[in-house]
Formats: sequence, structure tokens, C-alpha cells
Amino acid sequence: MQQRLPVLICFVAGILMFLQYFSRHPVARTVFVSINDYWQIIFAFTLLVGVAAFGKSNLRQIGRGIDTPYRFIALSGLVIMPVLAIIGGIKIDSPFQWAFEYMLAPMQATVFSLLAFFVASASYRGFRARNLQAAVLLGAALIVLIGRVPISEMISDSFPKVTFWIQNYPSMSARRGILIGIGLGSMTTALRVILGIERTYLRGE
Amino acid sequence: MMDRLKTRWIIFGGLFIVVTVSYLLRIKFESTASPEVQKSFTYLEELPEGSVIMVSFDHEASSLPEIRPLALAMLRHAFKNDLKIVGVSLFAEGTAIGYRLLTETAGESGKTYGADYVFLGFKPQQISAILGMGESIMHVFPEDYLGTPTDEIPMMRGIKNYEEIEMIVSIADGALTVHWIEYVGGQYDQPIMAALTAAMITTYDPYLASGQLYSVVGGLKGAAEYENLLGRQGGGNRGMTAQTTAHLYVITLIIIGNIMYFRARKAGRE
Amino acid sequence: MDAGVIIAGILTLAIYTFLYRDNPIYKAAESLLIGLSIGYALVIYWQTTLVDRLFTPLFSRGELNLMVPLILGLLMFSRFTRRFSWLSRIPIALMIGAGAGVAIPAMLYARTLKQISASVAPLIGKGGGFNFEALVVAVGLLSTLAYFYFSREHKGVVGTAAKVGTYFLMVFFGATFGYTVMSRMSTFIGRIDFLLTDFLRLLA
Repeated sequence: MQQRLPVLICFVAGILMFLQYFSRHPVARTVFVSINDYWQIIFAFTLLVGVAAFGKSNLRQIGRGIDTPYRFIALSGLVIMPVLAIIGGIKIDSPFQWAFEYMLAPMQATVFSLLAFFVASASYRGFRARNLQAAVLLGAALIVLIGRVPISEMISDSFPKVTFWIQNYPSMSARRGILIGIGLGSMTTALRVILGIERTYLRGE
Repeated sequence: MMDRLKTRWIIFGGLFIVVTVSYLLRIKFESTASPEVQKSFTYLEELPEGSVIMVSFDHEASSLPEIRPLALAMLRHAFKNDLKIVGVSLFAEGTAIGYRLLTETAGESGKTYGADYVFLGFKPQQISAILGMGESIMHVFPEDYLGTPTDEIPMMRGIKNYEEIEMIVSIADGALTVHWIEYVGGQYDQPIMAALTAAMITTYDPYLASGQLYSVVGGLKGAAEYENLLGRQGGGNRGMTAQTTAHLYVITLIIIGNIMYFRARKAGRE
Repeated sequence: MDAGVIIAGILTLAIYTFLYRDNPIYKAAESLLIGLSIGYALVIYWQTTLVDRLFTPLFSRGELNLMVPLILGLLMFSRFTRRFSWLSRIPIALMIGAGAGVAIPAMLYARTLKQISASVAPLIGKGGGFNFEALVVAVGLLSTLAYFYFSREHKGVVGTAAKVGTYFLMVFFGATFGYTVMSRMSTFIGRIDFLLTDFLRLLA
């Protein structure tokens, strides 16, 4: 029961969603829309589970006295946003939107911008022409780095053209190979999931 | 260990100084529009007045500095040409950003909410959301972002699904545009255009070459090129000097790193 | 100056202190960011999905079929109990099954067949000219696929093709690295723009 029921539901949902692709019949569309709705709503519940787990984990850590100030700050952040939304709604001039624009978004963008420094550091430490393949990688990177800033046009008109040629043909063909590989792999995995051969999603309690 | 840390701080400090100084200098660079940017611009330019496009804010706040100039340029262009915009978001964080960018650009162009543009907000599970809109946009978004019933919004009355949408513009910092291409492009034969962060450009090259993706405007450089075509300067052009010097800085680091590597190898230490 | 800009500026600088080394100021800002992000997502999910797709149609309009996703959604919380945690597999199975079902045609048509057909281009054009780019794409694609073909040992023709494939892959990785540097620098430039223009007001 604990294994069979989920496998059966997965099979039915998978088959129905697969078959709908081939039919415009109203019944097929109704089934598709219903499963699609359920899928979306259940997915929203997964976030609620995540929030509950986050709160529980932080409260447990506070109880044990581990990183208490940081855990407290994180929980405050979690509470602040819903409170602001309840008080002032989510309109453009609401405190909720304000907190997003002046607290969350700047911090998020700044954390991400730290990568610029690590990329620079990695370029110095790890980007070395140890062999021919590494040299090819290095060459392609250098051409793109110069070719995609305005200075390339000052060096030569054909510089950007070379950059686009590399991007559009040799680079694209390799990416296409990867893409087709992923496509075939995803397709077989999806089939294995529907047929109940692949059941890793049933693991973990 | 201390030497490694010191080298790290020198590299970090160098980047900080190079970008800050060059940003303050603001030397003007001319950027010729690349074929893809030109194609995107021409498409929006030639769309008849009143045509409806869907702009999907498929990105997080982390990429906002790069996405913002791109989005502003394209939204300004769309409003300038009197196109109607249906805004949606497939990322929770893209929702507040999309709402702000649409409100800001619509305000500049004197556009009215509900008549010239709407923002429907966010729906989770991207594949489910975009497939659902192929059947009925109002079913997936019964209310707009602020809770107004979608069927009460004048602009939405004539829009049932993708058939009434001329083009989907996915503004993305990740793989969400792939879902638009593979699910909506594939199942509903809908043309897709992308505005992407530079890091994602090569990911989409095969879709561009196969015609599944109509065109791409990519990165800060793409934004600068679009701004030039539009004739209105913005964050893209402002950042081009710093972008150029930052690239030159990284190239210099790569060269120094390689010189040191080859010298060490020659000396037999590696 | 706008209070929001001051707060955003201070938080930006707090994050940048990490460049020196990990420190309490950074940790505090990071914790706040995590909390705010989750709180924000909670509001958006609640407001734009659970209210308008579930609670309003179910409780105000009486669309009783929505009891199904409501119950399935609530089953997700069984993960917090030892005895009933297996029940959470039911909604997960529905989502996984639905995802797998729609993925098969999409992967087959849009990712595989479309990409293969786009690679098949005539090497000799109408005017008799040789299409060098079509040859590059064909060689690049086949050799990359050979590199990822692990059912046969990489020897002989397959080995040579796989070797050629690595060079195409290196070009792709190199180009991607170049664009990634570009992207990361753009993000940093955006933050510098904020600090110099809005926060420090050094630029108009």
C-alpha cells in the first residue's frame, strides 16, 4: 500500500498527461486542466512545508543555543514579510514592496555580485593552458571576453564577427550535442518513472 | 596561507578599484547592434499598434542589476510603440520586480493599467503554469497581482490564451525560457523571444539556430545595444566602460597567471 | 536622503564585508536575507496561488473538486510525523507523474527531433557553394555525441571522434566561461552603480 498507491497515482497521472498532448478533445482538455491545477496547488503546499521545516529547525537551534542571534534574525525576517503584507497589502507603495526593494533585492544582488570577485580570483589561479585542450578553452574564453565589449570594434570590425562565428557554430554544435543527450536521457527517465521502474522519489520519509 | 589570502585581497581590491574608477570616468563607447538585438528590436518596432505581447519575468532578484537595463529598454520600446503588455512571472522574486518595472515604464509612457497593460503576477510550478495558459490564461490567473478578477480587466476580455498573444518575451536569468520554448513553443507553436543574462546566452544558442527561439537580447552589452537602437540611454550604456575594463582586468589576471605557471614549469617546480 | 536607500546601502556594504573574510556583520545580513526571502516567497505563494486558485474558488464559489488538491496538499505535512510520513508520497507521486507525462513529448519533439533536424543542412548550396558552417556543426554535433557515448570503449573511430568532440566541448566551455565572467561583472557593476549614484551620490 505504502509503495503501490503512489506508483499507481504516478502511472495514471503520467499516462494522462502524456496522452493529452495528442488530443484536442474537450474531455482530454478537461482532464489535462484538472491535473494541471492539482499539480500547481500541491506544489504551493510544498513551500508551506518548507517554511514550517525552516521555522522548526531554527527554533530547535535557538533552544539548543546554537547561533542564537543569527537564527533569531532569520526568523524575524521570515515573520516581517507576511506581517507587512497583512498590514499594507502588496501594492507598489506598500511596506511589503518597500522591504523587497530596499532590503531583500539589494542583498540578494550583492551576494550574487560577490561571484565577480571569485571569478576574477579563479581566472588568476586556475585558468591555465596546461595542455592543448585547456589552451582551446582559454582561447575561446579570451575571444568572447574581448569580442563582447565595445573595445573589440575598435581593434577590428571582424573581431565581433569571429566571436559570433565561434558562438554560433563550434560552440553551438557542442551545446546541441549536450542538449540532445539530456533530451534522450530525460525522456527515458520520464518513461521509467511512469512505468514504476524508477522509484527514487519514494525514498526518504 | 597568508600569502594566498593576500593575493586574494589584492585581486579583489584591484577589481573594486578598476570597476569603480572606470564607472566614474564613463568614457563613451559606441556599440553596434548585434544581429540578434537588431532582430528583436525590429520585431517589436514592426508589430502593429495594439498588438498584445506577454512579458514573463522569469528571474530572481540576484540578477536584477543585469536584468533591469535589459527589461527597461524592451518595456520602454513596447510602450513607445503602443503595444499592450500582459505581465506574468514564473519566479516568486521576479514578481515584485516585474510589477515595479512595468509600473515604472508604464508611468513614463502615460499608460493606463487595465487598458494598456496588466500584471497578472506569479504562479508556481512553471511547466504547469505555462501549459495551463495555453488553455486559458484567466483560468490560471483568475485574479491579477493585486486581486482584481481578471475578467473585470478591460484589456483581458479579448485575450483567452496564446492565440491572442503575438510574442512571448521571457526575461530570464536561468533555464525558464527553455520551458517556454519546449512546452509552449512545442505544444502551442508560439513564438518566443528572450532577454537573458550573459551567462545564459550559450545555453540558448541551439534553440536560436533551430528557429525555436526567435531572438535573444543578452547581457549588459545587449541592453546597451538595444538602448542605442531605441535612442534612449540607460543602465546598459552607463555600465559599458566598467564592463570593458573589468574584462581587460580578468584577461590581465589570466595572462599573469599563465606567465607564472609557465615560469614555474620551466624552473622545474611543477 | 531616502531612508530606503540608506538601509539598502548599509546592507550592501554589510554583504561586501565578506570579501575580507567571514564575519558577524556578514552572517547577520545573510541570516536576514534568508529569512526575508522565505517570508517573501510565503506571501507571494499564499496570495497568488493558494488564495486565488484554491481558497476563493473552493470556499467562496463552492468548486468542490478542489477538495482533492487541498487534501493532497495537506498530506504533504505528514512528513512531520514518523507514522504517517508515507502519505506525503501520494501528492509527490502525482506531481512527479504529471511532470514525467508532459516531459516525454516535449523532450522528444522540442529538444531532440527539432535539434536533430536543425543540424541536417545541405553541405553544397544551390549555387554550388560549399557550406563550411554546416560541416562544422555536423562534425561538432557527431563528435560531441561520440564523446558522451559510453556503450562502447573510446577506441578506433569512436575514440578519434570522441577526442575531436572534446575540442568542441572546450570551445563551448570557453565561450560559456567568457559570458559568465561578463554576467558576473555586470552584476557587480550594477551594485557599484547603486553605491556611487544612489547611496554616495557621487554621480548625477
